[in-house]
Amino acid sequence: MAEEENQFEECEQIDFLKDRHVRFFQRTLQVLPERYASLETTRLTILFFALSGLDVLDALDVVDSDVLIEWIYSQQVLPTQDKSNLNRCGFRGSSHIGIPYSTKGPGVLHPYDSGHVAMTYTGLCSLLILGDDLSRVNKEAVLAGLKVLQLEDGSFYAVPEGSENDIRFIYCAASICYMLDDWSGMDIQKAIEYIRGSLSYDNAFGQGAGKECHGGWTYCAIASLCLMGRLEEALSQRELNRIRRWCIMRQQSGFQGRPNKPVDTCYSFWVGATLELLDAFQFTNFEKNRSFILSTQDRLVGGFAKWPDSHPDPLHAYLGLCGLSLIGEPDLRKVHPALNITQRAFQHLQQLQQTWRGNGGSCIGQQDDLQH
Amino acid sequence: QHGRVKVKTTAQQEEEKRKEREKKLQIYVAARDACFTKRKDGVFDDEALQLTQQLLSSNPDFATLWNYRREILLHLETVRNQDEVQKIYEAELSFLESCLKVNPKSYGSWHHRGWVSARLPRPDWARELSLCDRCLSLDDRNFHCWDYRRMVVKMSGVPVKQELDFTDRLIGSNFSNYSSWHYRSTLLPLLHPQAPDTPSQCGNPPPSASPQTHFHRVCEEQLLKEYELVQNAFFTDPNDQSAWFYYRWLLGRAERDEMISCVYVSREEERVAVAFSRPVNAQSVGLLLILDGQPQRVEWQSVHPHFKNSPVWICSLPPGTISDVANEHNLTVHWTEKHSHRDCALYTGRSESWCRDTATDLELFRSELSVEKTSVLQSELQSVRQLQELEPLNKWCLLTIILLMRALDPLGYEKETLAHFQTLKDVDSMRSAYYSDLCSKFMIENTILKMEYAEVRVFSISDRKLTTLCHLDQLLLVTHINLSSNQLQQLPPQFAMLQCLEVRIGTLFFLLFFINLNSEISTLADLQPLASCPKLKRLDLRGNPITQTTNAEAELAGLLPSVTDLLL
Repeated sequence: MAEEENQFEECEQIDFLKDRHVRFFQRTLQVLPERYASLETTRLTILFFALSGLDVLDALDVVDSDVLIEWIYSQQVLPTQDKSNLNRCGFRGSSHIGIPYSTKGPGVLHPYDSGHVAMTYTGLCSLLILGDDLSRVNKEAVLAGLKVLQLEDGSFYAVPEGSENDIRFIYCAASICYMLDDWSGMDIQKAIEYIRGSLSYDNAFGQGAGKECHGGWTYCAIASLCLMGRLEEALSQRELNRIRRWCIMRQQSGFQGRPNKPVDTCYSFWVGATLELLDAFQFTNFEKNRSFILSTQDRLVGGFAKWPDSHPDPLHAYLGLCGLSLIGEPDLRKVHPALNITQRAFQHLQQLQQTWRGNGGSCIGQQDDLQH
Repeated sequence: QHGRVKVKTTAQQEEEKRKEREKKLQIYVAARDACFTKRKDGVFDDEALQLTQQLLSSNPDFATLWNYRREILLHLETVRNQDEVQKIYEAELSFLESCLKVNPKSYGSWHHRGWVSARLPRPDWARELSLCDRCLSLDDRNFHCWDYRRMVVKMSGVPVKQELDFTDRLIGSNFSNYSSWHYRSTLLPLLHPQAPDTPSQCGNPPPSASPQTHFHRVCEEQLLKEYELVQNAFFTDPNDQSAWFYYRWLLGRAERDEMISCVYVSREEERVAVAFSRPVNAQSVGLLLILDGQPQRVEWQSVHPHFKNSPVWICSLPPGTISDVANEHNLTVHWTEKHSHRDCALYTGRSESWCRDTATDLELFRSELSVEKTSVLQSELQSVRQLQELEPLNKWCLLTIILLMRALDPLGYEKETLAHFQTLKDVDSMRSAYYSDLCSKFMIENTILKMEYAEVRVFSISDRKLTTLCHLDQLLLVTHINLSSNQLQQLPPQFAMLQCLEVRIGTLFFLLFFINLNSEISTLADLQPLASCPKLKRLDLRGNPITQTTNAEAELAGLLPSVTDLLL
């Protein structure tokens, strides 16, 4: 009884402030505070958070799609006349290297310019969200640039000159191939082996073999396998059940990323979407999840933070919304759990893929497998 | 993006801060541009090192700069002697230490340190380990540091035993040390591997590496020591999950071999159904049907056309092949990819036949935990029960007891298991839906075991608060099913795996196959899977909300035309 009364009292404090969030993302698209300077190299990902966030809020009408589409295409690393840089193609994070602005080919040869796998992924997503038809994406170049990033062990670098390599970039690669409907950009079998090798003793995924498991990497693993259509081939029923269990145990109020760590808004999506893909999200407690996410809502500037009483940021603002969307918060668009864009944007992709294939052939489903 | 706590400041303080930031920004931009110009011009000098150092100190995630720095260092390797190079790299390590102090979670910094350590002419691995020790003492969950430590250990050949002792120390001083337990799980099988098993029946190559395969298991002697260590941990702090997860892993067991679990043949329908131990795509795994020594060209179909992977597949034989009841036939189904096969003989006078490994034989539902060590499991159960008396509300205890009981005697402990589940749902109510699902699964498993024991083909489980249906691939041969008085809201598409749920006419015994559902079926869509059960004749939907919908009878007749006996 007492609990019910409390809920009525708290009702005012935990309402969802849609307009604030729209404005938060609008500001994100205009100017970012100085403390974000270190993210300059990954600016395209921030654009993605804002755009996809607005899409989830059904508020894309506030953006100038054409301008943004042009900017995204200006980050495409295009092949030079002689195609000597084909292995370096893709999308870059921003103009920080200093390449002159251009949305058309041929590309300009610059020794330190290359695509970055996460920027290519978020770039393509952003274009889809804005309704672009990807006709100006040089698919051959993007896939060539992707292929060289894969190592012998199946994982991916982020950039051709090398970086750390792990499961996050496998997810980016799988998403890219899925969106372009062309898996020549990666060796699926090797990627699956790397993913399997990352399965930890306690039944979730680490960044790589022998590494501690984590909600974010687990999302990358499961989402990648789903996009590849290999979930049930790669993992046995027992393993899948155990992964479900590990994920379900991450809920404390919201979700934590690892055992004995504090809950953090973004895991409401990383772990929540993983459970959704594993057909087990209905076993979580929606109310407690919602309460936690909303406790990190910034009532003044909008957006969400990782913890209550912290500064909001675009990543947590976006993933907080996705977390709410998963539990069916009214007025929010549904999110495709594997691709991490709205179902609306996903349908746009499906239509594009149908026209690419030239006929009304069926598209790759998300869950092809009959589970026990 | 790190959580930053809000701090209130006065307007003046704000202005001062703004000016300071402005100045910093200008310096930053100038340095950055100078850097890029140098790099573009191919200049690899000390000034370049200085500039990149300046920038990386404030932004260690500027990956391009780390790459440039690596280029500079590589260049310097070619123009300086070994002692100088050693000094340069040592200075690099010091620089990195200061970067890591500011941001101990920067991918760029750790990655670069790894690169430097690998190139140092005379590496000082002890120093690197000591850095890790210090870093971990500040944050024992910093996975960057743990990963770096693993790299150092690998490159320097630190003995596994030494690292195991390291985890001993960490765990000994603080049981709640999830990352240490994790590290331990990777070290233990290296130091104390289980003796290789005798080759499996199928001669499969091991599945790709993961701690779940038997190649990563630990020998018995060491396992017993580990049980003791872990018990100390969870007795000391029963609420910390680290030890419980580790314990679960210790008790675990390797996956069983993949195989064909059942072949069923119906003479009348001239149909073969095959059940596999896991979902497969029959079109791509080399499935071969041999009838009386002759390979048959058949088209394999998944029981539900929507799914390309399924544990049950069916095919039709050419008409007249096996229809004559006077003939005996021998079938073999080959799963060529796994070098596995199963035979099935269809005898004279018999209208159907099957060959199956029962769930009982396969210890299918006991395979969560290791079964060969019954005595060990008994003693573990005793220990955990002791703890449960002290901590009656501890969910880990309850869960572990349930699992141990299922490993020892699923049917014998059924009543206690149900009671524990009820307690579990009370103490961990946030996950009560999950526990209901788990409990449903165990009750279904028990019903299957009882069904096999009684050697009948009737699957009856009513009034058990079932929230979900599973293991439907084990019900391929079932003819009767009773799911009344449960909490099922819909029938899953997997229901189509019940290929024998049908009426056969023209036999001596008129067997009535029916479904009795008193649950919460409310829409037509909920019953969709029944459309795939070819000759369902009788359907009892009394007590379900769907009976209240207008036009229910007509709509159901449309969906299930073969049902002649519809009770609403």
